[in-house]
Amino acid sequence: MARIGVFVCWCGSNIAGTVDVKRVAEEAAKIPGVVEAIDYKYMCSDPGQNAFRNMIKDKNLTGVVLAACSPHMHENTFRKAAIKEGLNPYFVEIANIREQVSWVHEDKEKATEKAIDLLKMMVEKVKRNKPIEDVRVPLTKKALVIGGGISGIQAALDIANGGVEVILVEKEPSIGGKMIQLDETFPTLDCSSCIMTPKMVEAYQHPNIKLYTYSELEDVSGYIGNFNVKIRKKARSIVEKDCTGCGDCWNACPMHKNVKSEFNVNLSERTAIYVPFPQAVPLIPVIDRSVCLHYKKGGKCQKCYDACGPKCINFDLQDEIIEEKVGAIVAATGYDLMENSLYGEYGYGQFKDVVSGLQFERLLSASGPTEGVIKRPSDGKTPETIVFIQCVGSRDPEKGVPYCSKVCCMYTAKHAKLFAHKVHGSQSYVFYIDIRATSKGYEEFVRSTMENDGAIYLRGRVSKIYENGGKLIVKGADTLSGNQVEIAADMVVLATGVIPKKGSDKMAQMLGISYDKYGFYTESHPKLRPAESSTAGIYLAGMAQGPRDIPESVVSGSAAASKILGLFSKSEYEVEGTIASVNKTTCVGCFYCQRVCAYSAISKEEVKDRSGNVLKVVANVNSGLCTGCGACVNACFSKSIDVRGFMDEQIFAEIKSLAV
Amino acid sequence: MENNNTEKNQNFSDNSNKGITAQNKEPRIIAFVCNWCTYNGADLAGTSRMKYADNVRVIKLPCTGRIDPLFVVEAFKKGAKGVLVSGCHPGDCHYTSGNYHSRRKYTAFRDLLSYLGVDISRVEFSWISASEGNKWVSVINDFTNKIKSLPNNSDIFSKK
Amino acid sequence: MEKMNEKIQNIAKELLENKEVNLIIGFTKGSNPLRMRSVFITDPKDVSKLSFNSHCVQDLAVFLKKPEVKKFGKIGIVVKGCDEKAVNTLIQEYQLSRDNIKIIGLECHGVIKQNLADKGENSLNQSTVYDKCLACEVHTPTLYDYLVESDEQAFEINGNSIKPYAKIEELDLMSAEERNVFWQNEFEKCIKCYACRQVCPLCYCTRCIVEKNTPQWIETNIEETGNAQWNMIRAYHLSGRCIGCGECERACPVNIPLMLINEKMARDTFEKFGYKSGIDINAKPVFGTFDINDFNDFIK
Repeated sequence: MARIGVFVCWCGSNIAGTVDVKRVAEEAAKIPGVVEAIDYKYMCSDPGQNAFRNMIKDKNLTGVVLAACSPHMHENTFRKAAIKEGLNPYFVEIANIREQVSWVHEDKEKATEKAIDLLKMMVEKVKRNKPIEDVRVPLTKKALVIGGGISGIQAALDIANGGVEVILVEKEPSIGGKMIQLDETFPTLDCSSCIMTPKMVEAYQHPNIKLYTYSELEDVSGYIGNFNVKIRKKARSIVEKDCTGCGDCWNACPMHKNVKSEFNVNLSERTAIYVPFPQAVPLIPVIDRSVCLHYKKGGKCQKCYDACGPKCINFDLQDEIIEEKVGAIVAATGYDLMENSLYGEYGYGQFKDVVSGLQFERLLSASGPTEGVIKRPSDGKTPETIVFIQCVGSRDPEKGVPYCSKVCCMYTAKHAKLFAHKVHGSQSYVFYIDIRATSKGYEEFVRSTMENDGAIYLRGRVSKIYENGGKLIVKGADTLSGNQVEIAADMVVLATGVIPKKGSDKMAQMLGISYDKYGFYTESHPKLRPAESSTAGIYLAGMAQGPRDIPESVVSGSAAASKILGLFSKSEYEVEGTIASVNKTTCVGCFYCQRVCAYSAISKEEVKDRSGNVLKVVANVNSGLCTGCGACVNACFSKSIDVRGFMDEQIFAEIKSLAV
Repeated sequence: MENNNTEKNQNFSDNSNKGITAQNKEPRIIAFVCNWCTYNGADLAGTSRMKYADNVRVIKLPCTGRIDPLFVVEAFKKGAKGVLVSGCHPGDCHYTSGNYHSRRKYTAFRDLLSYLGVDISRVEFSWISASEGNKWVSVINDFTNKIKSLPNNSDIFSKK
Repeated sequence: MEKMNEKIQNIAKELLENKEVNLIIGFTKGSNPLRMRSVFITDPKDVSKLSFNSHCVQDLAVFLKKPEVKKFGKIGIVVKGCDEKAVNTLIQEYQLSRDNIKIIGLECHGVIKQNLADKGENSLNQSTVYDKCLACEVHTPTLYDYLVESDEQAFEINGNSIKPYAKIEELDLMSAEERNVFWQNEFEKCIKCYACRQVCPLCYCTRCIVEKNTPQWIETNIEETGNAQWNMIRAYHLSGRCIGCGECERACPVNIPLMLINEKMARDTFEKFGYKSGIDINAKPVFGTFDINDFNDFIK
């Protein structure tokens, strides 16, 4: 006999302002099986939770329904409280009368009716709940980190330092990501490669980190604690263990003026056999087969091979598929910059001296194509006037993206500052929409660029750039003074917006995690679970989640790592028991359930008689693999499979409770 | 949206004046939604304090892949005028493919219901993500208006 | 037909004598010469009972789902093209092992409607055969171990005047309300005898959804909603699976035109997903898989 307790939460006036909570409680008390129904001001408060626990105890409840805020807010809070009173946590259900009633409706009468309906539904549901025991699954205590930028490296190091093995996979020939391309970092102006290179080397040399560079994730299957991953280790054409990184090979390569350097953002050239930059980790070259003459001309050229002392070049090496079993994954796949060509009026690609922010970083960098001397790409002269344009693509729903790329205000201020430091007597102009400098020391940094380094900030947009007499004429608006301005500049730097790494959507689909409409991975909860993806065991870090700066990326890498170390600190992982189960008596073994299961959780099981003769073959659910999605339930013709917590009987009861 | 709503309401009360008694009651709409995308989208509409028609009653399920088309018929039998099925956009399913399986089943199921004489505009299907509180609001309002505008149906599955 | 019968008998005899099968399911002559019935042969001496003609309307594959038949293990079965599609689907759906079945496929030009045969009709032509025969694409079965060719010539179909299941197009053109009236009148007749299910080779569940009562998916009393629900759910469960043998409609004691539903669903499934049932034992059933580019037009 069901003994259901009901609580109707006021949530202060959040619910009680629109819903007649007294009436809801009165109506609830009339539902068969309800032994007590009360309204309460704040159920989530300590006294509220005590009232909840006391009623379970005093009334010997078999189930509780709370009419309150969304179950996504406090379902867990109350389920945990129920456990303390010895009630199976799945006998607590929540009727969502805040997010889906009081906050979205205005007519008190109708809102109250709806609240009563939702409550009735949940009472009928909870009456039909079955006790559900959580499932324990074993953990493979090894982590995979996808992406060797700063956030991925940080995550890998933290996990490895916690004593757990890590596999770090990087698509490019070297780790380092975008950060290693930067010159100095705001607001402290410490040199990016000076702080990044030691991290890269530490990751490379760490006994707990296995590094796969020039490698891509090929396939992911399994579930938390038990992921099977396939990594494609692309053929470098180098026998890595024999390579000393001496450089004889790339110095011998005849293709030395033909390929643009990705690392220097097309501002210099590289050879066909190359390391992306001198501090690359690992310092092992790779042959770009799309341009190498050996591959293009039928094996004739082998100058690198001839030059190589240890003879570690092998043109015939093939991609390798490496299979690894891991218990947790960090997706730190980073970001790209938008195409500047979207903004024809800025002349990117048309005028050599219009460059992107990342290109300007390379021009500033001592390891860059100009060895840190700012020279403009067209004629190599040192510019005296530079115009910086912010929000190129960001905050532009028409042509670009509506969001703020977060880092551009700061790096533009840094660019202007470094320009002032490097070229005395120079002048920079910054076109901006708003200045967003909200972290520690940021506002002061921008101020000092304006006040100490003389950068002139103009609030407005640039309408056109054209060339005239060796100068770039920048026409724009200064909306604060209301004047049109025209600046004859030597160079223009575009602060291009941040977008997710190309293919991040495909990666998300492979991992089975959710992503937003831009392709940024979405957090399990935007505020409270920012390090977790929507899928258990997969964590997020860095710009793959959205625009953020270096300290934030580092923090997110560490956050993901701490989640994983926490997960691995237990001997087993507990899975929610809301999974499918088969009625083996009625199952007829058509295995449509197996066909629709995305988790390979259904296997075939023979039902035998006492003499061992196979009577029939039926479906069996692997509780560690099942996620409780319920696709199998819909596939079953005889309704011989059901998913706990969302059983057909419960859904029918919910529908019936709504009968009109 | 607001104006549209009132206008439709007006039409609807005109009808009831002509004596179609069954329409005197506000039509009941049942929405079967997935836990991950649409339920969160509906919550977001709440946290954003958007307003929408109050005819809808949400039944939460793990995934659109769990929303058996036969639930739709059950809802009709119990007097629902309209049924909404909603879940994650293609590619976004929390369970990777539940929405794809569901889409396929509903394609056939809709054909079948329609062929058997059910006004198929009473069954709505939508993809609403966790970030689309505004879409939830417009889908609910549009669907409610549509349901209100339908003649009193007499198909074989509906409660008389 | 004599040559054909002789061939069938020889195959059956060989299979039984060599112990390749323990049972042969085939057709035999009944007391009424224009009605053929099923026969189950275990003794090679009895193979002379096997016979085939254009009155062999039954889909013998239905017996393959019965425990009494299953217990024989290895079985030989005589099938027309349409019946073979049922065998095919049973293998695809793990109800039958290809290793345990010997398929004696028959070339078939069509079977005469039983109600006409009962009135003495014995000539095979476009107005005497079932609609399924007019629409048939498998006069020769797709999967078989033995093929027995027909002794007779196929009849000519005058393409313009004959349209199998013409009523479907008519229904498609009706309004929902008109279709509702049509089906309401049909389902009103249903007495929930479940003959349609019993005779269907693909309704092999040992516990049918209609027998499940927590929850009660289908109202079991004989009234409008429950009747409609039963017929709708059966059609839904057969969508993408029905192989069009027409046995349900033939078995229906109150003549509900069930094939109009099954055929409609088969056409829609082919149109939307390019899938035809009963063709390939290794194919993924249309509702056991998906394509990311599936039909999406109805979704907001």
